[in-house]
Amino acid sequence: MSKYLAFAQSALQTQLAYRGQVWAAWFGRLIQVFAWIAIWMAVYKDAGSVNGVTLPEMITYAVIGSTLITAWDWRKLIYTLGNSVTSGDVAIYLLKPLRFPLYLFATECGNLTYRIAAIAVPVIIVATLTYGVLPPASLFHGLMFLAFFALSFVLMFLMAALCGLLAFWLMTAFSLEWTLQGILSLLSGSAIPLWFFPDAAQGLIKLLPSAWIGYHPIAVYLGKTTVSETWFYFTLGLGWAGLMAGGVALLWRAAATRITVQGG
Amino acid sequence: MQQAFRVIPFLVHLYVKSRMEYRSAFLLAIGAQFFSYACGFTSLWVMLLRFDTLGGWSWPQLALLFSFQLLTYSLGAATSFVQLRDIEEKVRLGTFDTLLVKPFSPWAYLVFSGLNIGYAGHIALAAGLMAWALTQVGVDWNFGTVAYLVAATISAAMVNAAIITMIGATAFIVVQSSHLYTIFFGVWELSRYPLNIFPAVLQWTLLTIVPLGFASYVPMAYLIGKDIAVLGSWGGPLSLLAGPVLVLLAMAHWRFAISKYQGAGG
Repeated sequence: MSKYLAFAQSALQTQLAYRGQVWAAWFGRLIQVFAWIAIWMAVYKDAGSVNGVTLPEMITYAVIGSTLITAWDWRKLIYTLGNSVTSGDVAIYLLKPLRFPLYLFATECGNLTYRIAAIAVPVIIVATLTYGVLPPASLFHGLMFLAFFALSFVLMFLMAALCGLLAFWLMTAFSLEWTLQGILSLLSGSAIPLWFFPDAAQGLIKLLPSAWIGYHPIAVYLGKTTVSETWFYFTLGLGWAGLMAGGVALLWRAAATRITVQGG
Repeated sequence: MQQAFRVIPFLVHLYVKSRMEYRSAFLLAIGAQFFSYACGFTSLWVMLLRFDTLGGWSWPQLALLFSFQLLTYSLGAATSFVQLRDIEEKVRLGTFDTLLVKPFSPWAYLVFSGLNIGYAGHIALAAGLMAWALTQVGVDWNFGTVAYLVAATISAAMVNAAIITMIGATAFIVVQSSHLYTIFFGVWELSRYPLNIFPAVLQWTLLTIVPLGFASYVPMAYLIGKDIAVLGSWGGPLSLLAGPVLVLLAMAHWRFAISKYQGAGG
């Protein structure tokens, strides 16, 4: 365990070495947050509440969705994993006394920590001072948001890892990245909340694993789920994570075996 | 000049040939990008199902804005983005120097030896959606409006290519340009929405510092007869001028940046 913590710490320190670049990411993110707030203010112009959701709630939704939820750059993982597996660089890690997927997870935890501290938190502070961000609906919802946020990161990591590993067979990380991006932009709810979807589609989309990336964590934060619903969705999310972790382990084993057969 | 006309088709031919060596990866990439942008369009459609209008724009009008923005970006970026994004790497490794000793314009070599045919997916989706949207928005079609649309498309593609080129060329002076592309794409995403919904500071940003408003909102608002934020009736003619003016600026910037190039690798 301690070695993986060291990898997380090392990733964090690597990011700190390139902190000069952070202002561009910070500025880009701030523009995105303000743009989404402007969009929701425009559509809510004459409406007090839509589907039981008020404008201040949507502003909060936009701020969390554009900062915390999207803080981690999953695209890089697809390329890192895809390239290291297809190029054979991964052989170096196979020689070391560690599990490569866990090593990647530890590294990305370090990256996530840095991006939350350096980009998400400052943007949230600016947005709170400018437009006002609501606190969690209750202490329970606040604490559960933290759990859902961690689950969202784990699921996002697993989805990106699945795509990165699939690149070993499909030979194209690029297409997988764009496909995942498309799915997430529509179905994760990090930009458009799933409660605005047509009623017939909502039921199904809320159960897809993508919904745990953006929609469920923010819905819990805003108190849109009851205590029992919150626990239900959390358990279901854990189920999805377990299923995907199994998928990653399976694909990883298949890829690693194939590398050995090829002889590197 | 004659030599350039002979070499350019050859460079493009070589690039296309190299991409076609990995035909299935190429087709998958085009399909994936088509799918991804289609998901983006669908998100907007979902929002409009619930709210009917965004800043006074209906779904067909927004579909026109979205598709025009994507189409003109693709046309402009095909001749600039990937090629110029890589300058940073070429400067760092010192491989840009090999272009400087070729008996050929480094810009033309870079652009045409990597003319990005990968934007075919973007263009197919944007053109298809735009064709539908144009039949829905009630434009009074005559020679004037058709000519305006064609000229606005060319000008908007030039705006995109010029800004991307200017960002890429800054790598000659400061080595890094990728962080500027991060900001460019942040602003680019805004330019698919009506400018009038944004606070004044963002409106001005989109018309001055990163003038992508001229490549999306301004020409489309003019075409469908909407009041144009900030520019008013000047918007129509200005959107046609923006492309050529920015290209001239980009040419001057490119020359200035190359004159400052000292090499960072070796």
